[in-house]
Amino acid sequence: MANVQGVAAQVNEAVAGRIGAGLRVASQGPPDTLRLVVAPEKLRSATEELLRLRARFLITVGIDTRPLTADYRVLYLFSLDAEHLFVVLECAADPDDPHVDSITSLVPGANWAERECRDAVGVTPDGHPDPRRLLLADDWPEGLFPLRRDFPYDYRPPAAGGVAPVPKQPPEGASVLPIGPFFPVLEEPSYWRLFVEGETVVGCDYRGFYNHRGIEKLGESVLTYNEIPYLAERICGICGFIHSTAYCQAVEKAAGIEVPRRARYIRSIMLELERVHSHLLWLGIAGHILGFDTVLMQTWRMREPVMWLAEEISGNRKTYGMNTIGGLRRDLPAAVVPKVLKVVDEVERESVAVRDAIVGDTTLLARTKNVGVLTGEWARQVCVVGPPARASGVPIDARLDHPYAAYDEVPPRLCTQQAGDTWSRLLVRVEELLDSIRQVREGLARLPDGEVLVEVVDEIPRDRIGISVVEAPRGEAVHFVMTGGDNRPYRWRVRAPTYPNLQAMPAMIDHAAIADFPITLGSLDPCFSCTERVEAIDVRTRTRRVYSHKELLAMSRDLTRRGGRR
Amino acid sequence: MTTAPLLALALALVNVAVALLLSPLAEGVMRKLKAIVHSRQGPPLTQPYLDLLKLLGKEDLRTTGGLPYALAPALSLGSVLLLATLVPLGAAPPLGFAGDLIVLIYVAATSAVALILTAFASGSPYAAIGGSREMMMLLSVEPVLAVALVVGAVKAGTLSVGGILAWNAEHGPTISMAIAAVALFLALQAQAGKLPFDIPEADQEIMGGPLIEQSGPRLALFRWALWAKQLIFALLLVQVFVPWPHLGIVPLDVVLTLVKALLVLVLVGVIDAVNPRLRIEQAMGYYMRVALSALAGLAFAVIGM
Amino acid sequence: MLTAKLREALICFRAGRVTLPYPFAPHDPAPGFRGKITLDPDRCFGCGGCANVCPAGVIQVRDAGQLLRVLEFQWRRCTYCGRCEEVCPEQAITMSQQFETATDRGDDMVMRLEVFMGPCQRCGRCYTPLTPLDRMDRTGFRTSDGGRS
Repeated sequence: MANVQGVAAQVNEAVAGRIGAGLRVASQGPPDTLRLVVAPEKLRSATEELLRLRARFLITVGIDTRPLTADYRVLYLFSLDAEHLFVVLECAADPDDPHVDSITSLVPGANWAERECRDAVGVTPDGHPDPRRLLLADDWPEGLFPLRRDFPYDYRPPAAGGVAPVPKQPPEGASVLPIGPFFPVLEEPSYWRLFVEGETVVGCDYRGFYNHRGIEKLGESVLTYNEIPYLAERICGICGFIHSTAYCQAVEKAAGIEVPRRARYIRSIMLELERVHSHLLWLGIAGHILGFDTVLMQTWRMREPVMWLAEEISGNRKTYGMNTIGGLRRDLPAAVVPKVLKVVDEVERESVAVRDAIVGDTTLLARTKNVGVLTGEWARQVCVVGPPARASGVPIDARLDHPYAAYDEVPPRLCTQQAGDTWSRLLVRVEELLDSIRQVREGLARLPDGEVLVEVVDEIPRDRIGISVVEAPRGEAVHFVMTGGDNRPYRWRVRAPTYPNLQAMPAMIDHAAIADFPITLGSLDPCFSCTERVEAIDVRTRTRRVYSHKELLAMSRDLTRRGGRR
Repeated sequence: MTTAPLLALALALVNVAVALLLSPLAEGVMRKLKAIVHSRQGPPLTQPYLDLLKLLGKEDLRTTGGLPYALAPALSLGSVLLLATLVPLGAAPPLGFAGDLIVLIYVAATSAVALILTAFASGSPYAAIGGSREMMMLLSVEPVLAVALVVGAVKAGTLSVGGILAWNAEHGPTISMAIAAVALFLALQAQAGKLPFDIPEADQEIMGGPLIEQSGPRLALFRWALWAKQLIFALLLVQVFVPWPHLGIVPLDVVLTLVKALLVLVLVGVIDAVNPRLRIEQAMGYYMRVALSALAGLAFAVIGM
Repeated sequence: MLTAKLREALICFRAGRVTLPYPFAPHDPAPGFRGKITLDPDRCFGCGGCANVCPAGVIQVRDAGQLLRVLEFQWRRCTYCGRCEEVCPEQAITMSQQFETATDRGDDMVMRLEVFMGPCQRCGRCYTPLTPLDRMDRTGFRTSDGGRS
């Protein structure tokens, strides 16, 4: 703890040294969060200073704080992983004509985040290389920003006529292969427009956010603090517990609520069980994408006992409904513990058998080795998280960087690979799966007695912020909460792991075969439901023209020429 | 009318009947086998018959006009049935003649050509990719078929399939014929459109490939043609390269042949269940290596082994 | 390569066929499964606690007259979270084990509960007691054997 304070002081000093009077306010919200309010014209300098300190960009949060501060606020969340610190750069925007400077040229991974901020709250990023619509549909009226306080959550805009999305045109000699919005291997709608020459992909365009449900708006307007976990766990179809845990932790941090130790252990155990069945599901999907349906059937057979176990523990296979502010609604009865151990023993035995069988399968290796390569350098530039990052050698894991639940007492093992191809991502997930089983065993062995819920008697104080990151099976999920009055948050921001990971796709499929596109996308383990509860869509691009191979290369070389960012 | 042509015609009809009526059953067995490997129940053995009945009763939708497009499914199935009459079920093909080996190789390619034409006429980008993949597979696999049969021709000293069968039944197993048999078996995996070589029909990558725009009776005929083709090729493999034991009693021999063909298809099904799909260039590379190995068999044949 | 395939085949064959015969044979969920909400009209006294906590806003409470309180459950939007069961002081609403709730009639997914309310002895109108405890003081607490004290 003292270490974090020291680091926070150092960061404060460094930024102050860089921008002097531009640093208006520095405060520490929760102990691990440093909040720096900077002058708008000093935003880019402050960002540069943080990048020099090796901070990793997480997400932006655009907040309509006109009732509180008579302006808009844009918060840029960074993480200093090794030092276990969050740094928030806050800057104000004029209430009548909100603009901020764009930081995308410094942090390519901020591309989508800034456009989302513009679509949702209406704060325009100046100098953004591609200020197109990201989140909102093409026929959404201009000038209507859903996350503004005066925008009713159930407003239905009038139907627009004669509006169509403007697709990019393919480069000379290439033809268009549309993948989606409905396609056999995409579980959720997303539109990839591949530009192909024969069987080689030479560029792509992306349109997503067909699944946008306005969850953040609901959380701020209709639901109360304790009702939001039920919405949060429905953000994703597989990893519901991650989102409800992250939300509850964010509020608990903001309000200073101390969760009982037993509840933290049980949260860890349920999170790891979720990781086990999610990775087995992914293994099946990867097999299915490759046409290897036997892997699909067998791995999904293996994960079924975990689903039955979840049903017995929580009352439902997937939406556990266990989390609430202050701990858990349900305890883990002692009678269920031997059943859990039996199930994970069997899953472990079968997973090891599957792993030993597929490492020698040359046909499988032929389809996954050197396919969809993501370099460590590019992974850091676009802020990729989770197994895709670890498979490219980037050693980040939210359970180790910002320990939560019981991970400080039962830490995971960091599983990394170096090659960055689909096979590496498969190996990382299999290793993580086996390590999760170890953590479940250890967690159950050391499960402390006591309460699982601390009753929150006082009203949660308003205008506090809390950031919680949780390592979902797909990567790091970020929840940001700013508490409000009226028993609900003022702002709730969710960034799912697939959000930055999708931005890495164009580089991964550049000059790949069409046949490799589905498995490359699948190896990111994309969860479009998670990604799209916010508003944003966009293809990672810096120009409005076609994503040609030349352009992608040019972008990549351009960034390298600037000396990289880390 | 002499009896010989009438008999030949009757036997040809028997072959056609076997190809039409027994091939869905063979496909049903393969589906059931795949389900067992998948640890699930799977459809009943008669499911392919039910599929055909259902599809034949549906509306005939066409994406484009023109006589070739309209006749393509019938052409596909018809060519496979013609192939059936050139493949021996008993001692010799019903419509066999000297030199029918060459005709067999050409007819074998015709149903694939019909599929390719349909694919490019469909107007869907997925079908176009599927069509070009089908072309590349055809160009890779036909040489293997040709070389394997030529090995038999060289050994038997005749270009008629019936002659090769007779020679092989008499002379027993030889190295060159064994190599040719293995090569033909590997080619069968692609001819049957089974993993790892179901690349043209890759469901997950190109939404079904050439057949994406086909439905109803057209789809029924294309599917039937594929099933018949896999059974005919299995029959060709076992008759020409593994004609033992030869009992001499025609009905028993026919039953034995069918059982052997079914076993071959079961093996094809097992390989199908335990493999992912290869990319087209990987498959082409693979079949080039198989063709070269088959040429080794030809070398053995030439030197008399 | 061949050993890998053989290992894979072995995993498959060792597992056998796992298809459950459902729906031709029943399949009960685990105990504690949160299924369709079930109402016990004798126990409900119209406090509206369930309506207060339902995240999906499924429950609507209104007075239909002097003596009648109506609770309407539009449970097509129910998310089976179980908060209503948690909050109800009389265990009038519980999560059953039912999960076969598909229907093609929207009317099947509405439940209506009419609660007869006690009238005020002075003005004769229905009143909500100050607290549920006040009400129970009048009607008596429910004992474990189902009767009232």
